[in-house]
Formats: sequence, structure tokens, C-alpha cells
Amino acid sequence: MQWHLAMYRRLLAMQLRSQLQYRASFVLDVLSSALISIVEFAATVLVLQRFGNNIGGWTMIELALLYGMIDVTYALTDLFFGGFDPDYFAPMVQRGTLDQLLLKPTNITLQILGSTLRLRRLGRIAQGGTILVVALALVGVRWTPAKIAYLPVVLLGQVGFFGSLFIIGSTTTFWTVQRVEIINVFTSGGRVAMYYPMHIYTKWVRRIFTIVPVIFLNYYPALYLLDKPDPLKMPALAPFLAPVVGFGLLAAALAFWEFGLRHYASTGT
Amino acid sequence: MKPPIITVSHLNKHFKVRKHHHGRMAGLRNFFTQEHKLVRAVDGVSFQIAPGELVGYIGPNGAGKSTTIKMLTGLLVPTSGELHVAGRVPWKERRAHVADLGAVFGQRTTLWWDLPVIESLNLLQHIYRIPEARFRRNLDEFRQILELDPFLDTPVRSLSLGQRMRADICAALLHNPKLLFLDEPTIGLDVVAKERIRQFILHINQERGTTVILTTHDLSDVEKLCARVMIIDHGKLLFDGTLDILRERFGGKRELIVDFAQEYPSVEVEGAQVVEKEDGHAVYQFERSAITASELIGRLSAKYRIRDLAVREPDIEETVRRIYEERLLER
Repeated sequence: MQWHLAMYRRLLAMQLRSQLQYRASFVLDVLSSALISIVEFAATVLVLQRFGNNIGGWTMIELALLYGMIDVTYALTDLFFGGFDPDYFAPMVQRGTLDQLLLKPTNITLQILGSTLRLRRLGRIAQGGTILVVALALVGVRWTPAKIAYLPVVLLGQVGFFGSLFIIGSTTTFWTVQRVEIINVFTSGGRVAMYYPMHIYTKWVRRIFTIVPVIFLNYYPALYLLDKPDPLKMPALAPFLAPVVGFGLLAAALAFWEFGLRHYASTGT
Repeated sequence: MKPPIITVSHLNKHFKVRKHHHGRMAGLRNFFTQEHKLVRAVDGVSFQIAPGELVGYIGPNGAGKSTTIKMLTGLLVPTSGELHVAGRVPWKERRAHVADLGAVFGQRTTLWWDLPVIESLNLLQHIYRIPEARFRRNLDEFRQILELDPFLDTPVRSLSLGQRMRADICAALLHNPKLLFLDEPTIGLDVVAKERIRQFILHINQERGTTVILTTHDLSDVEKLCARVMIIDHGKLLFDGTLDILRERFGGKRELIVDFAQEYPSVEVEGAQVVEKEDGHAVYQFERSAITASELIGRLSAKYRIRDLAVREPDIEETVRRIYEERLLER
């Protein structure tokens, strides 16, 4: 275990040094990624203003909390799970790079996680992080030790959720060769849906988000942090399901990935 | 004789491949129907390889070479048949298995593209858990023979093809693999670079007893390196034996090139055909089965005064091309 962690760390260090070789392009990448996400955020704010600065009774700052959490965790996923991004993974299978990794006597999942590090996402992480911190400062959370401890767990749960979508998307390319667009419905769709409080959606949309349980990942934890009453009358446990959902899906995705690898070994490409 | 390091018996790998329609409405039919056909990529192949052998594994594109190699390296699970490599069933224990292997794919590098060569080698030490002393010893040896020093600190992307290949071969051998797979190790290299790589492969095979399996399109690799060749086509093993036997059975005609000490109006001789003649120089073709080279030379020197001569074996390239084309080995 310790040995594997050391290997993962070294793989990431190799990626870091590789990318720092191109200093100018690295700086530009980070800046442009930050700029894109700032423009996106500004656009969202402008749209929200048309609705009188509140959606479903949530103020702009409260919405910024939802937005900031998702923005940070999605960018973190992109940074660390980049190897499992289907856009990156599918060509890796086609070009035989995956075979080369399989010829190394060590854990294949860690090797893929360590095969790329999208440092340009740092721009987006900084921007999302700023929104999150500002929102937390202005929204007036009544902090308790439990809330302070729970917030990072929620964020990790969200990273686990997005990561599981990446892994599922990549695994399906073992059967389809090309990456499958439908996964983006969940990755991008789920991400955008989580920017907003879930009670604004109609019942059947909410039902979908309960089955694909994004409702527990962002909305319910936010209700808990803000001490808001639950308009949907879910069990009192609902705000605390984020890590269960996030890590549960991640575990399921990894099991699917193992299954996919076995299929790959019997068919190749 | 030592027990074989590779035992393959009645090995099969069949793939289901989607049938593609052609002609009118082909696109629609492809979309809506799911007809499959069975492709026998490897079809009843059996062979054994003893430790320390250097085997050339050749065949045209799509013949089943890389499918075989993928099964030997544990990347693919056979459809049926038996496969043991170094006492293991490769796909059942992939990680333990690949720790005993080295592999070089001429077209791709396993090294980190943007980083100095030495950093990749250091990381491989960690991945293969190579003890420091052994790592140092191997690296020192390879640095010297492969002349790596001038570019150990150069990023891989800036290396020439020949340098990159030397670095890749070094990387594949640092952990003392029992078995080395080389896929097109000399592709795209100039004559000098090719020769250097070949010398090193021989060195490793002879000094360390590493078993080497070489797949290549460049048959001069096979000619210079491999005592044994296996030829596969359409998934079947067509030939398994020494180069000499291959030549003898399918080699076509040998040639004798003669420089005469003086000009003769006619240079005919029994048992051989003159295919080329110009002032004091002639080329004869003769069948291996009809006459030996020394007999022919005897007959010639009885009739003419000879200054110099040379025997040219049929080109192995030509031989193998004939085997593919004329299906000489079809059972």
C-alpha cells in the first residue's frame, strides 16, 4: 500500500516536471482555464440577475455556494482523474498505450491515474475555490465543529462521484471503441444541474436526480450547512448521504472497471 | 536439455468481428444488423522454446503474430489451448508474469516523452523493485555498451530514433527479465544503428542467457540474429525450424559469381545456367538439390582459369516472400 502510494506520488511528480518544461504554455493554460471559468460564472450571474437575484428563494450568495463547491470538485476530478477522462482514455486504448501499462508489474488503475495530470485545471480550481470561500464567508454559516468536519467530506464525495463517471465512461469504451456521448449527459448534465437548488426542478426531474443520486451530493449538504428546512421532506439522514453516494459510486465504478479489464483481456481491440 | 521456458500447445484465439455490408444501403444495414463472423487469429499453434533461444517470429501483417505475443505476455486470454511461460499461465498472474518480461515495441516508447532518459530509468527501478546494487550494475553495463552517456540527460522527445531505441532496450532489461520480446527493434534505423542494436541483442542473449523472441519485417535481423525461425500466416504456424532448413527447402536457386583470368567466348558448364556474362565475369544459377557448390567450382576450374569467385545464397527475403505468395507450406 505504502509502496503503491510512493509510486503514485512519483508518477505525479514525473507529470509535474514534464509539464513545467513548457513553462510559458503552462502559465497560459492555467490563465486561460481560469478565464474561461470566470466568464462562465459571470454569465451565470447575469442570467440569475434577470430572475431578481434569487432562484427558488435562494439568494445569489447561497447559489454561489452550490456553484463554488461543484466548480472546485469538478476541476479537482479533472486534475486527478484525467487519465480516466474518456477523451483521453479511448485513444490510449487504440494506440496500445494501455497495453504498455499492462506490461508493467504494478497496479493498472494507479498507473492510469498517474498517466496525466491536468495542471491547467489549477486555474479553474483557484477560481472555483475563491467563489466557494467568498460564498462561505458572506452567506453567514453558523459554523459548528460537525459542519467544519463535514464540508471536506462532502467535497471528497463529489470528487468521488465525478471520478466514478469518468471511470464508467472510460470502461464502456472497451465495448464501443469510440467514447460514448451518453456519459456526458451525466457528467456535464449532472454538474450543471447541481449548480441550482434541486427544489426548483419539477418532480420527475428530481426523481431522476434521486435515482442518479446527485441530489444528495450538493443540494442536501448545502441545506445542512445553511440550516435550511428541507422542502422535499426527505428523511433527516439525507444531508449526510453525500460521502455514501460519492464513495459508493466510486467503488461500483472500480468494480465495473475491473470487469471491463477482464473483457478487454478476452477480446483486445 | 533444459525444460522449455515457453510451452504452447493447440493454442487458439478466435475473435467475433462484426460483418460489414457493402453496396446499397450498406450504412443502414451495418447499423441495424449485428452479423458476426469468426476470425481465427491464432489457429491451433503449438511450439516450445528452450531457455536461451533467440527466435525470429515472422509473418505478414494480420497473420497472428501480435495476437500470439499478446497471449504470451498475458495481455490476451486464449480462446482455448495451453500456454505456459516460465512456469506460469500468463493471463492468470499478469503482474507476477510481466515482472519476468522485457518488451520493446519499435514504434512506441515506454519512456516519459518530455523528461530526461535517466528519470524514466530511475522510475522503472522503483516500478520493478530492482535492488540498488543490481540496478547500478546493469545501468553501468548498458551505458557502456549502448553508449547512452551522451544523451542520458536529454529529454526523450529530443533523441534520434536510434538513441531512443537504445534507451528503450536498456529500459526493458534493467530488471534482468528472463524473456525479452522485441517488436521491430530496428525499424527506421540506418545500417550502423541497426548493427549496433543487433550486436547488443546477441550480447544479452549470449552473456545473460536471456530468451529472445523477435518479430520483425526486416529479415536481415532474423538472418543475422536468429538460429530458429517461426513463420505464421492466417493464424497457422507454417514453419518452425532453422534458417538453413528454410533455405534448403524453399530457398530457390543459389548463385555462383565468377571472375575469369582471361576472356572466353563461351563459359557454359554442366549443372548450372549462365544468367549474366560480360567481359571476364559471369553469374551462374544452380539448384541446391542438383549440384553442390564445390562440385560446380571443380567443373569450372577444370575448363577455365578462374581468378576469383563467390557463392550467393538466395535472399531470405525472397524466400519468405515466395512462401507467403505461393502458399508453399499450405497443409
